[in-house]
Amino acid sequence: MATNNGGDKGTRNLVIIMVSFIVVVGIVFSLISNRSSTSAAIPASVSADDGYGIVLNPNTKPTIDVYIDYQCPVCKTFEILNGEYLNEVIAQNKAKVVYHPMTFLGPESILAANAAACAADENEFVAMNLAIFQDQSANENSGKWQGDAMLNIGKSIGINSAKFEKCINDGNYVKWTGNVASASAAANVNGTPTVFVNGKELDRNTEYGDPIKFKAALAAGGVK
Amino acid sequence: MVDKFRVAQPWLTLIARLILGAVLLVAGALKIGNLQKSAMAVRAYELLPVQLANFLGYTLPWIEIGVGLLLITGAVVKISGLIGAITMLAFIIAIAQAWARGLSIDCGCFGGGGAIDPEDTRYLSEIIRDLGLFILGIYLYLYPKGRFGLDK
Repeated sequence: MATNNGGDKGTRNLVIIMVSFIVVVGIVFSLISNRSSTSAAIPASVSADDGYGIVLNPNTKPTIDVYIDYQCPVCKTFEILNGEYLNEVIAQNKAKVVYHPMTFLGPESILAANAAACAADENEFVAMNLAIFQDQSANENSGKWQGDAMLNIGKSIGINSAKFEKCINDGNYVKWTGNVASASAAANVNGTPTVFVNGKELDRNTEYGDPIKFKAALAAGGVK
Repeated sequence: MVDKFRVAQPWLTLIARLILGAVLLVAGALKIGNLQKSAMAVRAYELLPVQLANFLGYTLPWIEIGVGLLLITGAVVKISGLIGAITMLAFIIAIAQAWARGLSIDCGCFGGGGAIDPEDTRYLSEIIRDLGLFILGIYLYLYPKGRFGLDK
C-alpha cells in the first residue's frame, strides 16, 4: 500500500515536542504577564482596593466606577453627554469617582492612559481626561497619539512641568495599565464605557446615552 | 464509489488538515496580540465563572496555535482532529446559547469579541462555519492518514 511520504518517527516526535514547548511556554507567559504587577509604579491617587483606578474624592460616598478606553468612540460620546455632570459631581464632592482607563483597543490606548495617570499626579486628571477624548482620532490605532501628542495635549491644558514630561516620555505608568486591565478582567467588564454606582452596573442600553437618565441613575445610587 | 473514495481519501485528509489547521492557527495567532480582548470575548458569553473565563481567554489562543501546527504538519492527526472537533462543538454550543439568551456579542473567534450592537450579530454564519470545521475534525479523527503527513 502506498503510504504517504511523511517523515520518520524522529521528525514527528521532534515536531510534537517543539509544538508542545511553544504552547506551554506561551501559556505560562500569558498567564503571568496578565496578572497585576506588584512592582508597577502607580499614581498617588490609585490603590489596588479600587481596582487600580484613578480616584477622585477618596473619602466620599457613594462610589462611581467608570471604565473607559480612550480610543473608544462610544466613550467619547459618553464624555460629551455626561462628562460635564460627572465633573460637577467631582468638583462638588458629591461622590467618589474612580476612573479605570482600559487599554484593549490598541497601543495608543496605553499611551493615553499613561498620560492621564501622569496628569493625575499633577492634579489635572479631570481636564486631561476631557482633553484626550476631544483629541480622539476618527479611526482607532491611527498613529495620531504617537510621539509628542500626549505631551502637547498636556501643554494645551496648562501642564508644563518637567516631571510630567518625564512621566510621558518614560512611560512611567505603562505597567500600571496592565494592573487596570487585570482588575477590569476580574470585575467582568466586557465593553466600554461601563459605569457602576456602588457596585451596581448601569443599563448600557438606556442610561449612558441620555444625560437625564444618567443623572437619575446616579441619584438612585445615592448621588445627591 | 468506494474505490474512488479510497483513492481520494489521502488527499481529502490532507485538504481537511490544511483547512482546519490553518483556521485554528490564524484564529489563535490573531488573539495572541491582544489577550485582554480574548479574555473579554470569553467573559461576554456569560457561561463560565469570571476567573475561569479569563483563564480560558489567555490559554485558548495557544491551544489553537498548537493544534493548528500539528494538523498542518500532520503529526498526531487523529487526536488533533478530535481536539479540533471538540473545540468547534464547544464554540457552536457557546454561540447558540448566546443567541438563545439574547446576548449581543461578537464570537471573538478571530480576535475581537465582547458586546456589539444587536444588528451586528452574525450567529448563524458563525455556527455554520464552525459546523463545517467540526465535520472536518471528525473526518480527520476517522481518516487520519493522508498525503504529506508526519504520522507514518
